[in-house]
Amino acid sequence: MEEVVSIEKATKKFKDKTAVDELSCSIQRGEVVAILGPNGAGKSTTILMMLGLLEPTEGKVEIFRMDPKEKAVREKIGAMLQEVSVIDTLTVKEIIQLFRSYYATPMDFEELVALTGLKKEEMKKRADKLSGGQKRRLGFALALAGDPDLLFFDEPTVGMDITARKRFWDTVKALKEKGKTIIFTTHYLQEADDVAERILLFHKGEVVADGTPHAIKNRLTKQSVSFIENSEVPLDEIRSLAIVSDVYVKNNRVIVVTEQTDDVLAYLFEKRLGVKGIEIEKGRLDEAFEQLTKNKEAI
Amino acid sequence: MKGLLMQCRMEIIKILRNPYYVFWSLLMPIVFYVIFTRIFNNAFDNDQEWQAHYLMSMTTFSVMGSAIMTLGIRLVEERTQGWSLFMRITPISTSAYFFAKMVGQTVIHILSIIVIFTAGGFINRVTLSPLEWLLSGLWILLASAPFLALGVLFGTMKRVDTVSGVSNLVYLLLALSGGMWMPLEIMPTIVQKIAQWLPSYNFGNGAWQIVRGNGPDVSNVLVLIGYLIIFMVLSSYIRRKQEAAV
Ligand SMILES: Nc1ncnc2c1ncn2[C@@H]1O[C@H](COP(=O)(O)OP(=O)(O)O)[C@@H](O)[C@H]1O
Ligand SMILES: [Mg+2]
Repeated sequence: MEEVVSIEKATKKFKDKTAVDELSCSIQRGEVVAILGPNGAGKSTTILMMLGLLEPTEGKVEIFRMDPKEKAVREKIGAMLQEVSVIDTLTVKEIIQLFRSYYATPMDFEELVALTGLKKEEMKKRADKLSGGQKRRLGFALALAGDPDLLFFDEPTVGMDITARKRFWDTVKALKEKGKTIIFTTHYLQEADDVAERILLFHKGEVVADGTPHAIKNRLTKQSVSFIENSEVPLDEIRSLAIVSDVYVKNNRVIVVTEQTDDVLAYLFEKRLGVKGIEIEKGRLDEAFEQLTKNKEAI
Repeated sequence: MKGLLMQCRMEIIKILRNPYYVFWSLLMPIVFYVIFTRIFNNAFDNDQEWQAHYLMSMTTFSVMGSAIMTLGIRLVEERTQGWSLFMRITPISTSAYFFAKMVGQTVIHILSIIVIFTAGGFINRVTLSPLEWLLSGLWILLASAPFLALGVLFGTMKRVDTVSGVSNLVYLLLALSGGMWMPLEIMPTIVQKIAQWLPSYNFGNGAWQIVRGNGPDVSNVLVLIGYLIIFMVLSSYIRRKQEAAV
C-alpha cells in the first residue's frame, strides 16, 4: 500500500468558526473515497486543504508525502472544484490544449475528449458560451488534462442531468480501473454508495464514520421487524428480550429494532401472538446518514 | 516552458476576442482621430504638426486604456470566478502566469501602436522620419508600464462592477485632463497645472516631444517611474493583506 493522502489532526478555523476540527485520515493509492456529509460539514474546506489552496490553522496535510503546494504534487493531481467557472473567450479546444501544455505528461487529447464525452461541435464553442452541463464537462476535462494519479471532485454532479450524471460516474469507474485514486464529495448518498469503496462521513468538521459503504450500513443502520399494532402483543416482554434493542409504535405499526430479525420472527411465531402484516426492514445508508447527523446534533 | 509560451499566445487571443479591447483601444481612437483631424481641424495653424501630435494622443489613449481596463477587469473576473484559485493547482506557477499576462498585454500594445500609426499614415499621410516612428512607438510601449501597474492595482478590487466603474472613470478622467483628447493649451490653467503631475500627461508628452524632434523631458520619465513604484508597492501591499485574510 502506498499512502497518497495523509491528514494529521488538521484544523481549519475561519475567524472563530471552526470548519474542520482535528481531522485525521489516510488514503491509499487506488482508493475511491466519498466524503459525505450535510451542507457546511467541512467537505470543501478539507478538499481545499488537500489541494494546498487553504492552509490548515493547525495540523498537517501531505499529498504523496509532500507539501501539497509542491510542483511535483501539482503535476500529478487534478480537480473539479465548486465555485470555479471558466469565463474565457477561448474555445473549449484551446483551453484543453492550454491546460495540457502545463503538464510534463498530459493525457492524450483524443483519449481526453472521449473520456469526458465532449462533442465535436462543442470543441469549437467559446467557454463563456457553454451551458451549465457543458461547463461541467469542460471542468472534468481540465481536471484530467495532466493525466493525474490523484483526482478530487467537489460535488461534481451538481447541475448535471441524469444521463450526464450516469456518464460521469461510468467514467469515474473507468478511471478507477486505471488505478487512479479518486476523492469526491457528494450530497447524493446513493452516489457514494454506488461508486465509492470507502465513505468518510463528515459532520461539523469531524469524521464521524469511516469504512466501506457496507460496513457503515451494518454498523449504523438498524434492522427491524414490524407488524400491525395489536393489543394482545406484550410490548414490554418483547422489549426485555436480549436480542431486541428497541420497540416503538409508529403509524399503527409496532417496530421491533433488532440485529437478529430471524430470531425475532421465530419468537413471534413460537408465542403464537397472531401478528399480521409482518415486514422486515433492512437499514439503508440514507437512514444511517440521517441518524448519524441527527445523533450528533442532539449532543 | 512550453506551457509558458502557450499561455502567452492564449492571453493574446483572449484580448483580441474581447469586444471592449477592439472598441475602446482600436476603434474609438481611430474614430476620434478622424473627427479631430479631418472634421474639426481648422483651429490649428500647423496642420502637419497637429496631425502627428494628435496621432500620438490617440495612440497613448489607446494603450493606456487597454493597460488599465483590460488587465484590471480581467484580473478581478478571474479572481471572483475562482479561476485564479484553480490555476494554483496546475503546475504553472503564479508568477509565470502573471508574466504571461504581461507579455500578452505588451504584444497587444505593440499591435495597437502599429494599427493606429498605420491608420494615421493612411488618413492624414502623417510623415515622420523612421527614427521618430520607432522612438515614439518604443516610448509608448515602455512608458505604459505605470498603467499596467495601475491595472494590476485595480485588479485587486473585490467586485467586477466596482472595477469596471472605477477604471472607466479614472481612464476617461486621466485622458481628458492629461491632454489626450484636446491639447492642454486650450484647457483652464488649473487643469494645466494639475496635468503636469498626472501620469497621462507625462506619458503623452514624451511622444508629443518626439514627433516635434525633441526627446521626452526628464520630468516625464521621473513622474512615470514614481507612479510605477507607487502602484506596484500599493498592489503588492494589498495583495499580501488579502492573502493573510484567508
Ligand atoms: N472562506 C470562508 N470564510 C468563512 N467561513 C467559511 C469559509 N469557507 C467555509 N466556511 C464555513 O466553514 C464551514 C464548512 O464549509 P464547507 O467546507 O464549504 O462545507 P461543505 O463543503 O461541507 O458544505 C461552513 O460553516 C462555512 O460557512
Ligand atoms: Mg462544499
